[in-house]
Amino acid sequence: MSAAGGTSRNRYGLAAALTALAMLMAHAAAAQQLRVPDHVVANAGATLTTSGDGSATFYLVGPGTALKREVKLGEAIELSGADLRNAGRYSAILKAGGNAQAASLLVAPAQPAAINFMARPSRVPVAAHDAISGVAFVFDDYKNLVTSPAQVTFNLAVGDAAPITRKVEAREGIAWTRLDSARKAGAAQFVASIGDTNVRRVVQQVASDPCGLRFHTAPAKNGVTVETDPVKDCSGNPVPDGTIVTFVETDGRTRSTVDARIKRGIAQAELPAVPGALITVASGVATGNEVRLGGGK
Amino acid sequence: MKFKLRLMIVVGALLSLGFFGMAAAQDDQPAKGAVGGLVSGAGGAVSGAPRVTLDVSSTAPRQVEDTTERAIVRDYGRAWHDMADALAQNRADLLPASFVGIAQQKLADRIAAQQKSGLETRIVDHGHNVQAIFYSPEGSAMELHDTAQLEIQVLDGSSVVNTQTVTARYTALMTVAEDRWKVRVLQETQ
Repeated sequence: MSAAGGTSRNRYGLAAALTALAMLMAHAAAAQQLRVPDHVVANAGATLTTSGDGSATFYLVGPGTALKREVKLGEAIELSGADLRNAGRYSAILKAGGNAQAASLLVAPAQPAAINFMARPSRVPVAAHDAISGVAFVFDDYKNLVTSPAQVTFNLAVGDAAPITRKVEAREGIAWTRLDSARKAGAAQFVASIGDTNVRRVVQQVASDPCGLRFHTAPAKNGVTVETDPVKDCSGNPVPDGTIVTFVETDGRTRSTVDARIKRGIAQAELPAVPGALITVASGVATGNEVRLGGGK
Repeated sequence: MKFKLRLMIVVGALLSLGFFGMAAAQDDQPAKGAVGGLVSGAGGAVSGAPRVTLDVSSTAPRQVEDTTERAIVRDYGRAWHDMADALAQNRADLLPASFVGIAQQKLADRIAAQQKSGLETRIVDHGHNVQAIFYSPEGSAMELHDTAQLEIQVLDGSSVVNTQTVTARYTALMTVAEDRWKVRVLQETQ
């Protein structure tokens, strides 16, 4: 009986020891810890600290990356700039045995260094109010949108005319402006800049609608030639070649219409010579003078 | 017999404490149909897309047209659906339908890195509350602020390494491309 009792005690002792060992190891596993820095900037890299003993598997999953590495607990984990180049949240996970510890690491964008610039439209009439818009998206060197405030300068210039400049604070990565087009036609240089970074777009400013449209007549072999004076807009810019000018001749019974394209600044056409007929001219929304054949103008 | 019984109890205790690397066994099973299953039907026109609610009340400088509002809801939801599929299956070819430029490149980089490391990411998407804060004057770009409810699982092979349930805030930049809006920037913020 006593021998049997001793065996029983030994068995109880073994069970207790195994339980204690299990609890100790479970505690040790739970004790592994991963600490990450509070603030990390893109491409700056980071050092993560671990505690515990033995080896573990380290995972880093985040924007643009996913890596897996064997590490020793108790030693630091060095993350390079390339590992943390993209702004956003990363999950850092340390797995030892069946136990995993996770921490979040938020990487902020670096300093503004690049601009994506949208200028609209690419072609615009002169002297138009709020006709040109520019939108600048601010990025750092690693293609992260910089959401902290930053000052963007917009500059619009045509030829030798004084440029229009606007300074706009980018909010949430975006700065935008609206500008009037200049009175002078030509290729406007529209530039958005931040720091030393400039991005240039060209906005072609073209003459607006014709203004003060006038024409005269001259006898021709088979009728009458009608020819405009140089066609210009209200700011004095020549209306582009190819713009349609319409001549209409009416005598009360018949009506003749000719669409002529401006060529070298002038539109020209030939109409029947109908005595007493009235000839008018128009281009787009602009109308010009009238000429009555064989009579007053 | 009693000894064997006690030994089984002890072994059972060890198992429950994770002694044999089987802790959180319930976590080791990837969520079944994680991407589409929990959100099916929530995305309207796009099957399996997550729920997206869009607030355009404070959008500037241009007001959002009704058709654009509907298109953004549809296409942003589709983008999350496509991204979840791409990250779960490590298929960068699923991205171009909804992503362009920087966003597409960064997601493709992540998928390439996941493939290299034998990892996958599964996203259980519980929906997005989105506010449009910027709509460009000419109507070709929109910035969104998204508060997303997500459950994110990182898998190493077939076993789940970690599961996180998060409320995440994203800044998204969408631009018109081809016949729809696509995500050009998708960046998590604080």
